[in-house]
Amino acid sequence: MYLKIITDRITRKKIPGSSIIYLPEGKYLKYGTLGFSSFLADLIYIWAIQYYGDYTIPDSYDYLYKIFEIIAELDPHYFDPIDMGAFIAAYEAQDLELAVKILDMGLEKNPKEWFFPYQAAHYLQFMQKDHERAQEYYKKTMSIEGYPPIVRRLYADAIFKATDYERAFEEWLEIYNTAEDERIKKVASNHLYRIKATVDIEKLQDAITKYKEKYGRFPAELSRLVYAGFLDSIPKDMDDKEYLYDSQTGEVKPPTIPWKR
Amino acid sequence: MKIRAIAFNTFKEAIRDRILYLLLFFALICIAFSRLLALLTIGDRVKIIKDVGLASISLFGALMAILIGTGLVYKEIDKKTIYTLLSKPIHRYQFLLGKFFGLVLTLFIMLLLMSIIFLALIFFHTFTIEWQLLVAILYIFLELCLITAVALLFSCFSTPILSSIFTLAFYLIGHTAWGLETLIEKIKPGLGKVLAQGLYHFLPDLENFNFRIEVVHNLPIPASIFLYSTLYGVFYSLFVLTIAFLIFRKRDFI
Repeated sequence: MYLKIITDRITRKKIPGSSIIYLPEGKYLKYGTLGFSSFLADLIYIWAIQYYGDYTIPDSYDYLYKIFEIIAELDPHYFDPIDMGAFIAAYEAQDLELAVKILDMGLEKNPKEWFFPYQAAHYLQFMQKDHERAQEYYKKTMSIEGYPPIVRRLYADAIFKATDYERAFEEWLEIYNTAEDERIKKVASNHLYRIKATVDIEKLQDAITKYKEKYGRFPAELSRLVYAGFLDSIPKDMDDKEYLYDSQTGEVKPPTIPWKR
Repeated sequence: MKIRAIAFNTFKEAIRDRILYLLLFFALICIAFSRLLALLTIGDRVKIIKDVGLASISLFGALMAILIGTGLVYKEIDKKTIYTLLSKPIHRYQFLLGKFFGLVLTLFIMLLLMSIIFLALIFFHTFTIEWQLLVAILYIFLELCLITAVALLFSCFSTPILSSIFTLAFYLIGHTAWGLETLIEKIKPGLGKVLAQGLYHFLPDLENFNFRIEVVHNLPIPASIFLYSTLYGVFYSLFVLTIAFLIFRKRDFI
């Protein structure tokens, strides 16, 4: 016991995270598991959690895909490690492409699992702000049976954020028409309000800019845009209320916040 | 009747073996340890408990079958008790089957004990008895029956140490033979491919009894696989027991 304590006190040079180099690829490792591949996947996953909890390893994120690929190879139906691997890639490594790659691998191994493309779309939409790709992943999610209804609403929101207002309006209208409860109807209605307000305000702002270019000042009121020939009529919001206009700044705002209607 | 008498005696002898209790103790420690291991994970803890539990039952069950099975016949020969036995009106196949069923009964009791502890641990976490886990345990039992037959076969003509090594090799081959499929795919058509295919079909495939992943993940299992795996286990065990009988029949003890 004394010798053990003495030995432990001697400082030895260690390369943080060097244990990773001993991990063979999952497809080869599987042959040596003797039927305990699921158990080994658990052990590697638990080890990976400790590995990524150690911030002293300088290049740990370089091996992120490799580690979680091994786990997925050993137990393809084990969803927690894929979710966690993507989470580490997105939040710790700040590498959203890697997060999407890990989730793609999860989907490849479990083509009937909607969660992976949904999670990828979530990262792309809310962190990467890549709304076009987010739409692709939402579409993939919706092609798999059992996806939750919120996916469709997020898909419609991604279309809106990609500034494809016409398609976004159609999608939200469809959601409104097919909604089974009042809460969803209200949510869809608010989104429809927002899309219409955004389109109207863009149109008004465009006309105001042209007015200013021609007359060198902002119009005193919005009706001047019609008299000056920039608009046929002044649009109103979905509740038939007029948009708020500040003639000092030339800024147009909706009369109400969509979520407080 | 004679088979039953030998089987019960073998059972009584096996349950007195200290190795059995040592293995049972370690198996139960491992099952209990799964709870500790589950605490280290993020996500589904019960999955870890199920995996570790089933792996422990399978691994320690196989070790029980190997370490006790390989000494079954050899001990009788070594202690010369076989002379007394075979001088009675007992056919040699009855002796072998008695030994086989005796150890199978022992393994069944051990598996039952481990399963009760395992299911209780799962119940402690989920508050439901997950009966589907019994499917995996049932096929572990079938695999153990085959390993017992193989251990008995080697025990007929070899020492316990060598028999243990041979049976362990059978276990390792049985769990890696499925890799030959990849080799067959890569080999160009010809004699090599035919030989590899022949080897693939001849070698035992113990993965036929592995339903652990399906059961843990609640995946659907085709009914035909249950049937064919059961038949495969029964016929392979019968085949091995027949070879054991043929070898044992030729042995001269006097």
